[in-house]
Amino acid sequence: MPVVRLRGLGLVSAYGPGVDRAAAGMIAGRTAITPLTLFTVPFQDGIQVNQLDHTPYPPGEAGALALLGTAVREALTEAGLTTEDLRDTALVVGTSGFLFAAEAEYRHRQAQQDHPPARPALRAPGYLTQEFAAQMGMQGPVMTLSTACSSSANALLVAGGFLRRGDARRALVIGVEGLSAVTLNGFQSLMLLDPEGCRPFDAERRGMQLGEAAAAVLLEAEPDPIAYGDVLLGGANLCDIHHVTSASPDGSAMRAVMEMALADADVDPDQVTLIKAHGTGSPDNDMAEAAAMRALWGESLPPFTAIKRYLGHTLGACGAVELAALLGCLRAGAIPPASGCQRPDPELRIAPLRASHPAQPGVVMFNYFGFGGNYASFLIRHG
Amino acid sequence: MGKSRVYVHSAAALGPTGDMRRTERVSLAADPPPLELKELVKQVVGVPLRQASHFVELAAIASQLCLKRLGVPAPEDTAVYVGTGLAEVRKTHALFQQVMPPGPGMASPFDFINAANNMAAFYVAKLGNFRARNLTVSQEEFSFEWALQLAWEDLRAGDYRQALAGGVDENSQPRAQHLRRMALRDDQVIGEGAGFLFLSVEPERARAEILGVRHLDAQTIGIELPRQLADWRQDREPVTLLPGFRLSADEIKHLIHTSPDIDVQPYLQHCGCFHTATAFGLAAALDDPAGTSGLVVHVNRNRAGQWMIVGIRSLTG
Repeated sequence: MPVVRLRGLGLVSAYGPGVDRAAAGMIAGRTAITPLTLFTVPFQDGIQVNQLDHTPYPPGEAGALALLGTAVREALTEAGLTTEDLRDTALVVGTSGFLFAAEAEYRHRQAQQDHPPARPALRAPGYLTQEFAAQMGMQGPVMTLSTACSSSANALLVAGGFLRRGDARRALVIGVEGLSAVTLNGFQSLMLLDPEGCRPFDAERRGMQLGEAAAAVLLEAEPDPIAYGDVLLGGANLCDIHHVTSASPDGSAMRAVMEMALADADVDPDQVTLIKAHGTGSPDNDMAEAAAMRALWGESLPPFTAIKRYLGHTLGACGAVELAALLGCLRAGAIPPASGCQRPDPELRIAPLRASHPAQPGVVMFNYFGFGGNYASFLIRHG
Repeated sequence: MGKSRVYVHSAAALGPTGDMRRTERVSLAADPPPLELKELVKQVVGVPLRQASHFVELAAIASQLCLKRLGVPAPEDTAVYVGTGLAEVRKTHALFQQVMPPGPGMASPFDFINAANNMAAFYVAKLGNFRARNLTVSQEEFSFEWALQLAWEDLRAGDYRQALAGGVDENSQPRAQHLRRMALRDDQVIGEGAGFLFLSVEPERARAEILGVRHLDAQTIGIELPRQLADWRQDREPVTLLPGFRLSADEIKHLIHTSPDIDVQPYLQHCGCFHTATAFGLAAALDDPAGTSGLVVHVNRNRAGQWMIVGIRSLTG
């Protein structure tokens, strides 16, 4: 079976364009928390966000496509490829949708006239994926996965499947999410936003901090095992049917998806050298995630970190965004600590990294747990 | 190790008039009237789904009907693959109205939760008690085709022994916006509905076999499609062609000109146009024991000119 190698990474985050820029900020311990200036919400002063610099991007769909293009070009550059090489490449996008683009277009039109503009015809989640494929001249399979916060993690798993089966030689995985007034209002109505920002696994944590970003991961099938580089070893997806918005409190479903991912990757738990936790900072989610890690590893839990305070919770994009950002840090030689965790919650009985550590080659587990009980876990051999 | 063959053990299609069986289907001359599903939910699911949206109700009814027709309980490790073109379009619209100016500015928590595109797949799994893979594919015209392809490949590879694969989409108002969103002509009937197939690697009691789901390039469709049909067809078995909603009359005529014995089944007259009408068409063709026999082929293309075909051999009829 072919090996699935990560040939290129691209990222546009609140740090600016570039994986290296995000990694440098994270390693330096700087979060990219910004003021929300894109639009106003009734609770403007009571939230923290990670907003992109929108100067290079026009409002609406054109801006969303340009954003994807920036992330993809970086991934292509690292791989030494051009857009011509994408012709038969599979495109798999993970997102909760492009509502942010419709909102931006609406706001833009509103700013140009005295009365509220007509409501936009909200597009299908896959609409912009197809537009982007056409723009890039991509003729291979095109697919959008919408599984809430695990969307682009699942996109990576599906793309890996394409390559392993020989359905494509190359696959481009994109995670994209923009700040949306609807989404911010929705999470605020559920009382899931922490006014102090994301504080993963902290005793005082109260919820999430939303962000926006786009990431691209270029995968390629290698016929033979390779001795270096970053490789997708395997992973799994599972539905926790406990509740629409909350995890099984004992963490059993989260543990199950991690075990399935380990089995798929043919990795023993003690071979895992680092875990990237989902770490939303919401009380229940972190509690369940901690329970899952305790149950699976016991006293042998490897170091784990959580990076949503740096980048914001980028929802459907976080699978690809956090993969690109963390690998950027590891390539730069450091594991960033779980920013925002000042005093680990003693009830969780485990604690994330609170100081930067030197990175070594090893096996990293990436975990993502979304609404609708949609969980994804995958393993990357880094080195 | 060789790949497993994948069979269809049960199928269910729910149409825009609440039709669940072939005898209940009606030919639509215009958009169907709004459909209220609360009673049908109680009848099929057995319990009311108080917080569920219309979109979720469509998926819940069709998936539960498919499981009831299976005749035996489906195992807990049944994977779920749902395709949807527009997902929760009504709830998303409602949220937009609530939050964006001149709306009141705050979102309803229930509408927000329901607006997540994977809610249907979650309810399908919860009602079926399925703790396994759960994916929602949203790729306009090919949402169901890709969901079925992923299910088929996972079963063939041995990752799962059974799966529920379906497609679901709801209509919305105003009509002009919905037409624009789907790139439909004004004379096309806007439909809604759902279709589910229960797939298994077990050949016993199978109603059909999935032969393949293929993505074809616009440049090679003229060569590849006849080749694929010839490859799938056994001897002179009957062939039923289900044309998708993007195909024009000329394109359908062109598809069958080399094989005049192909029977064209225009299922869209019963369900109208929606992104995942393919799921309705295939499930409707397979849900009747005395229904379609031989090779059943669904063909559709997308806005970009790419094509996808699904080949299924009916083992009944």
